[in-house]
Amino acid sequence: MTTTIILVLVSLLALVCLLWLAKGRTVSANVLQNPTEHMRAVDVEAFRNLVDPDEEEFLRTNLSPPEFRRIQRERLRAAVEYVSCAAQNAAILLRVADAGRRSSDPATAEAAEKLVDNAIRLRLYASLAIPRLYLGMILPGAHISPVRIAESYEQMTRLVVLLGCLQYPTRGISSAL
Amino acid sequence: MLLAILVFVMVRRRLYRQFPMFFLYTAFEVLQFGLLFGISLSPIHFGPDYVRAYSVGLGFSTVIRFAVINELYRHFWRRYPALDGPGRYVFLGSIVVLLLIAAIVGISAPATSTKFLFNVTYALDRAVSVLQCGLLISLFAFSRYFALSWRSHAFGIALGLGIFASVELATSSVWLHLGDFGNRAVNLFTMATYHLCVLIWMFYLIRPEEPTSHFSNPPPKHDLEIWNNELQRLVQR
Repeated sequence: MTTTIILVLVSLLALVCLLWLAKGRTVSANVLQNPTEHMRAVDVEAFRNLVDPDEEEFLRTNLSPPEFRRIQRERLRAAVEYVSCAAQNAAILLRVADAGRRSSDPATAEAAEKLVDNAIRLRLYASLAIPRLYLGMILPGAHISPVRIAESYEQMTRLVVLLGCLQYPTRGISSAL
Repeated sequence: MLLAILVFVMVRRRLYRQFPMFFLYTAFEVLQFGLLFGISLSPIHFGPDYVRAYSVGLGFSTVIRFAVINELYRHFWRRYPALDGPGRYVFLGSIVVLLLIAAIVGISAPATSTKFLFNVTYALDRAVSVLQCGLLISLFAFSRYFALSWRSHAFGIALGLGIFASVELATSSVWLHLGDFGNRAVNLFTMATYHLCVLIWMFYLIRPEEPTSHFSNPPPKHDLEIWNNELQRLVQR
């Protein structure tokens, strides 16, 4: 009897979970009505600096171990924030590019296709990098270098510019978004 | 009856080309209903032969539902080729984890009825419901994490199947607990849920496909200044 009750409750939970996840689709659509409100600026150079192994080594040699651990945790916390922002922007750009994929202009469609691929890759890297950064916070000595995020983000922003120029040649870069 | 309308709609709108497995599933369900209805009206009525036919039908229907879920995953892999690799890992990983869960559920709550066919039918149905429900939740979670846009047809099919699989998990557990076929309340509840799912499928398949989100009015420039500066800097490199 108890197992049956547990299974019924699990199925109820699964149903709620499913409906909640399905509802997320509408939320995303709302975000797309005004994407710029949800996009956040990401300073790629600052991020590179935060995850730079040389910088980390410099701090390690010039600071006392407790001080280094404290600073390193702060740096990695900031890096997590940067990665999260980049991943959020990627999600929005992915939906923007989705619209461009159906363009009748082959160049626009191709740029949009590449942007979709890059945005997906960036979110993939982010899903791998964030746990690693948290691991780095727990073990400040461990070498963590999610530099691919920065590279992917740079590539993505270049594609946004290209897509914007192709879609709205007279309006400038802002119109891409 | 509703499923027959759905089959008609799919043929009319040529949706069987996009979702051949889902079309096969709906057509099979219509056929199965016809067969079972025929048997129930015959002298066999709801006897052992009806139960046998029902169990065999449920088995086929379950296999086709797996094919439909696979079709939905493939739908995403086709739309987003970059997800092909990770998507397959998610699909296979989910299957392994869910099979383990289904096995644990099977061991912790074995069937207690003396009827072999009954035990096999509902124990398998419960295990399959765990798998199908989990796979559909994984699919929704996956698409939500990557902010993927669903085509409304695929979304409707997945939503209906997901609701049905989660309710089926509860009802198959209750059936196994009751230990016999034919509880009226559970039957009515299952049928009501299934009708709801068919209505969901009809709603999403009948209405025109939503166009992909498009921005007719580009957002105001001042909001994007910081973002633009960053982009300009990258372009000028």
